Amino acid sequence: MPSSPVPEPPPRPPSPVSRRSILLGGGALALGAAAAGCTPGGATPAGRTPVRFWSLFQGGDGARAETMYAAVEEQAPHLAIEPTTLAWGPPYYTKLAMASVGGRAPETAIMHLSRLPGYAPGGLLEPFDLDLLAEFGVTPDDFVPDLWRRGEYDDGVYAVPLDTHPFIVFYDTELADSAGLLDTDGRLRPIRSDRELVEASRALAEAGGGNGISFGYVNDDSQGWRLFWNLYSQTGAELRLPEGGPAELDHDAALRVYRLLAELFDGGTSPAGQSYQTALAGFADGRSGMLLTGEWELPYLQDSVENLGAAPFPTVFEQPGSYADSHAFVLPRQNDPDPERVRAAHEFVALMLRNSMTWGEAGHLPAYRPVGESEEYLSLSPQADYAAAAENPVLDPPSWFAGAGSTFHTDMTDTVRTALTGAGPEAAVEQLAEALDSWVVRENPTVGGTS
Amino acid sequence: MSAPARTRIPQRTPEAARPRRARRAIADASWTFLLPFVLVYGAFLGWPLLSGLWISFTDLALNGAGGDFVGTDNYAEALGDPLVWQTVGNTAFFTLITTVPLIVIALAMAVLVHAGLPGQWLWRLAFFMPFLLPVTTVALVWDYLYNDDFGLFNQVLGVFGGDGLGWLTDENVAMWSVAAATVWWTVGFNFLLYLAALQSVPDHLYEAAALDGAGAWARLRYVTLPQLRTVTVVVILLQVLASLKVFDQIYLLTMGGPGDSTRSLLLYIYDLGFTGYRIGYSSAVSYLFLAIVLVIAAVQVWIAMRRKA
Repeated sequence: MPSSPVPEPPPRPPSPVSRRSILLGGGALALGAAAAGCTPGGATPAGRTPVRFWSLFQGGDGARAETMYAAVEEQAPHLAIEPTTLAWGPPYYTKLAMASVGGRAPETAIMHLSRLPGYAPGGLLEPFDLDLLAEFGVTPDDFVPDLWRRGEYDDGVYAVPLDTHPFIVFYDTELADSAGLLDTDGRLRPIRSDRELVEASRALAEAGGGNGISFGYVNDDSQGWRLFWNLYSQTGAELRLPEGGPAELDHDAALRVYRLLAELFDGGTSPAGQSYQTALAGFADGRSGMLLTGEWELPYLQDSVENLGAAPFPTVFEQPGSYADSHAFVLPRQNDPDPERVRAAHEFVALMLRNSMTWGEAGHLPAYRPVGESEEYLSLSPQADYAAAAENPVLDPPSWFAGAGSTFHTDMTDTVRTALTGAGPEAAVEQLAEALDSWVVRENPTVGGTS
Repeated sequence: MSAPARTRIPQRTPEAARPRRARRAIADASWTFLLPFVLVYGAFLGWPLLSGLWISFTDLALNGAGGDFVGTDNYAEALGDPLVWQTVGNTAFFTLITTVPLIVIALAMAVLVHAGLPGQWLWRLAFFMPFLLPVTTVALVWDYLYNDDFGLFNQVLGVFGGDGLGWLTDENVAMWSVAAATVWWTVGFNFLLYLAALQSVPDHLYEAAALDGAGAWARLRYVTLPQLRTVTVVVILLQVLASLKVFDQIYLLTMGGPGDSTRSLLLYIYDLGFTGYRIGYSSAVSYLFLAIVLVIAAVQVWIAMRRKA
């Protein structure tokens, strides 16, 4: 069945969705999935066009995504969304790559924008049809240009961003208040230098809890790299990773970052070697006043911390910058794409973007500006308090080996461990430089003659 | 001597032909019985083994790119890859610190239970129960126990005024923690093997030893342990192989960290192929691993043969 006439573009408020309609929607999805299983490659018996969608949205994200699918299906009843949620991290990208190689990939999927340089050149993705997207009311002007450009490769647009998810600070307003860190509005006072951050940490430790700032990264894939890269970008230093090398790293800037981290997480004021879960739990229990992590923890923290505040990552060096990544829609390569389904996938992407207010509630910053700049979004608290983080997003260096869930992240995170619990900041710089040098000379295994 | 020669004379009498035909019929029928196994074996072991060997000489990527013959480049790279050697070392270390307690503790538990502790069924159940748990459950439980902050172990240490350990976050401790969880999880299987072996030691040996004035310790030392030698060889063999292929609990508890302190060779092979997309190279490393396992197996066979001789 052909898709319905084009709906009008203006962003609609997300319809409040009742539990029942989610359940019904879920039931319909299950039916749709079952039906699609019977007739692979064709429309479902009900005449709806199936859109298979892979994502790595678990927990609070997953619940929000379900709400959005239901809203999309309500607005476009001819779409049968068949979502598949897979575990976050390296296995997700393995599965996505394998699905593309097999040629029977889902119609659309979520990918971190930082992973695109490793995917688009390998022929694993199809470009978006911008005319089709425009037909469904989404154009490049609806996005921050820097973000949009990260989805481009050669002459095509391979990724359409759903959100920006920056690294921010969460704080306990009560502890921050007794540490004298709040302004008259009850918000975190700007922290303007590395000194001020260290002092804030000490003040928080004294104000109660025992720990100043929580940060968990040990045995985590990416967390150490996120904080390092965030701070490194604030020094204004460059990092160039030309293929074939040599890597251009500003050693002094890196040393400044590691030294600051070592001073903050000295094992006295704040623990030096925490795991992600331990840091999260410590902050949620009120045993530390501040937590450095991504805004994706907002749904959990809102449930568990009574006096929760949030702010963009403070500018402690020369220029503002927030580590960020972006969940983006991509079209994995299929051997035999069905034009009707491709069209449906475009419509699905457009509708998901226009319903991304729900996504904003989960803490992410909607990339689609008609939503992200709407009054409704900017009235969300504490989302509005850190929305400024989207102004200076610092994504991974564009390289085939970088990106969420990559071995590169794990390698980089390990340098932070060296700085904090190992041989110290100087050794960490050395380890970093060596790791970068070994990465740039490697060849991208996914490019090259396909046999 | 002449009788067998006569049967070979190609003069077929009906009497001589019948058994031969019957034998051939059995041989024909045996193939139909073997065929399903041979097909499955060939499809799921023989073919992958050969195909993997070929891949290890190519630069094939997970997305199908590459695939050109690169000779022994992958093997040369693997031999010079410090992480290969580090993960081989980690795997060997893990094998050592799990195999020894898994044998000693299992034996001790079996001897205690066999000696007639009251409530034998309860001990048997308690010692064997963890083995029935899936690895994900084991990892979740121990992840909690090991938590730096609210984990049971550090809470207990805190009560006694200790500082607490980074059970999974300190690189000097993490492998021991993984090993301890593994021992708790799998010791029940060895315990069961030992218990069965103990129950099959003939009573008359103990009676004879008792008549000769052997005490409990002497009976253990000179009757029980020698009688358990065969099962010990089996346990060691199974245990070494199980420990060498360690992957799941490490993947779930530490992802190979902190640093690479708990990264096992299999975990590294997985990372290379499935996260790094270098199927060719990761195949080469896995064939090196196969070579190591074959050497260990050969040594074990050699020891077993020597003992028999």
